[in-house]
Amino acid sequence: MATMNHPMIRLEGVAKSYGPLQVLREVDLDIAKGEFLVLLGASGCGKSTMLNMISGFEQPTQGRVLVNNKVVKDVEPACGMVFQQYALFPWKTVSENVAFGLKMRGMGKAQRREAARRHIEAVGLKGFEDSYPGKLSGGMKQRVSIARVLANDPDVMLLDEPFAALDAMTRQVLQEQLLSLYEKSGKTIVFITHSIDEALMLSTRMIVMGAKPGRIVQDIRNDLPLPRTAEVQLSPAYLEMKKSIWETVQAEVMKGLEGAA
Amino acid sequence: MASNRKWRGGLLVVSACSLIGFLLLWELVCRAGLVDAVFLPAPSQVLARGIRMWNQHALLDNVLASTRRVMVGFFAAAVVSIPLGIMLGTSRVARAVFDPLLSFLRPLPSMSWIPLSLLWFGITETQKYSIVFMGSFAPALLYVIDATRNIDPIFIRAARNLGANRWQVMFEVILPGCIPQILSGMKVILGLSWTCVISAELVAAQQGLGFMIMNGREFFQTDTVVLGMVLISITVLITDAVFRLIERGVLSWQR
Repeated sequence: MATMNHPMIRLEGVAKSYGPLQVLREVDLDIAKGEFLVLLGASGCGKSTMLNMISGFEQPTQGRVLVNNKVVKDVEPACGMVFQQYALFPWKTVSENVAFGLKMRGMGKAQRREAARRHIEAVGLKGFEDSYPGKLSGGMKQRVSIARVLANDPDVMLLDEPFAALDAMTRQVLQEQLLSLYEKSGKTIVFITHSIDEALMLSTRMIVMGAKPGRIVQDIRNDLPLPRTAEVQLSPAYLEMKKSIWETVQAEVMKGLEGAA
Repeated sequence: MASNRKWRGGLLVVSACSLIGFLLLWELVCRAGLVDAVFLPAPSQVLARGIRMWNQHALLDNVLASTRRVMVGFFAAAVVSIPLGIMLGTSRVARAVFDPLLSFLRPLPSMSWIPLSLLWFGITETQKYSIVFMGSFAPALLYVIDATRNIDPIFIRAARNLGANRWQVMFEVILPGCIPQILSGMKVILGLSWTCVISAELVAAQQGLGFMIMNGREFFQTDTVVLGMVLISITVLITDAVFRLIERGVLSWQR
């Protein structure tokens, strides 16, 4: 089991600057296989930059990023990305969108349609295979986007504030669905949010980030029992964690505001 | 839905009444002798001229001649400008190569090509095609380049993240993604092609709607001139409607 010896994702002294502006100060971080890691922080803390470096869209100014023990040099399908803006191809049907990655790999039409059908059903959109994304609600679009990534069977799923544009009720349904998909698939997940509740609801581990420059300020294991029902959300352990994170985040936000003034 | 359709039907009736009213007014002004028929013939005179020319088999030939010239020149311009435009829109190097030439061609009106084209091709069909082509090509190319550059980069990122290589991004994302904008651009270019062909025919032709207008002028047949104008208008409207139909078929996902 040599594969178990290395983390799924490793950031080694990773820093990122745009010209003179440092957006991320040296970060060292190991993410184990099967972890549901939530990156939590206010805007400008470099969490999206971190995700973009893991996915290969951006290269670090210093240090290196390893996924599955391989240095990330270019965009890697090993890390499937779910965007906040869905990024579904409007000229393709739901089924064609979900099968996109498989088509790129040269899988036959019938086979990839069948795979798409399975994944569409898994996110509860059976019957919408031939609809175009323009006809779907935001919550449905994001489910298609998640199915599209899962169909491609990546090692890691990266989600960049995927539910931020959805209404509260839809968000909760999608959070629950994502958790159950996570439990079934065993994928490693890196999820960005600025909602403490969302982080507590979903994660097995939370990284709280500070701004100016972006850096890690808190690394918390979240072992609240799954599923995280209303009962769990009212438990002392939940509230204790929430309070601790809130204090850190608040201090960081205040620092950010002072820096801006 | 039903009331919406009713409302739109009502508007159609209003439009029809407005057209009839306009024609009636025009007819009355002419009949009352308020304007000389040499300056402005009555609609009934134009219609009579149309029927006479139809019976002499002179009408449809002119319409078809112009339509054919537009189609050949327009399609040639589209076929060249779409792939070239996508290439120029996605490659900075290619754009740097073509930019000086394009900047030179862009401001030239199609009319300015008429002397050279007559010299090169004579008063032939090829000469008409070339005028339509030269008048449509540069603006079509600019539309396509623009459409290519307007693709939301997030689609390209998503495709690359799902494993698409450069060519797959081109054919699976950029090309289908810019088709709506290319089509709406081509609709404008089609109208432009019509002005090109009419100007070419006004200068030198033995057939076509532009020729018909010019010929009418030579013989002081103002009714022929107006008939030519009306036919241009109607033909352009019809080609536009056909184009819209094709557009709706291609872009079924937008509905």
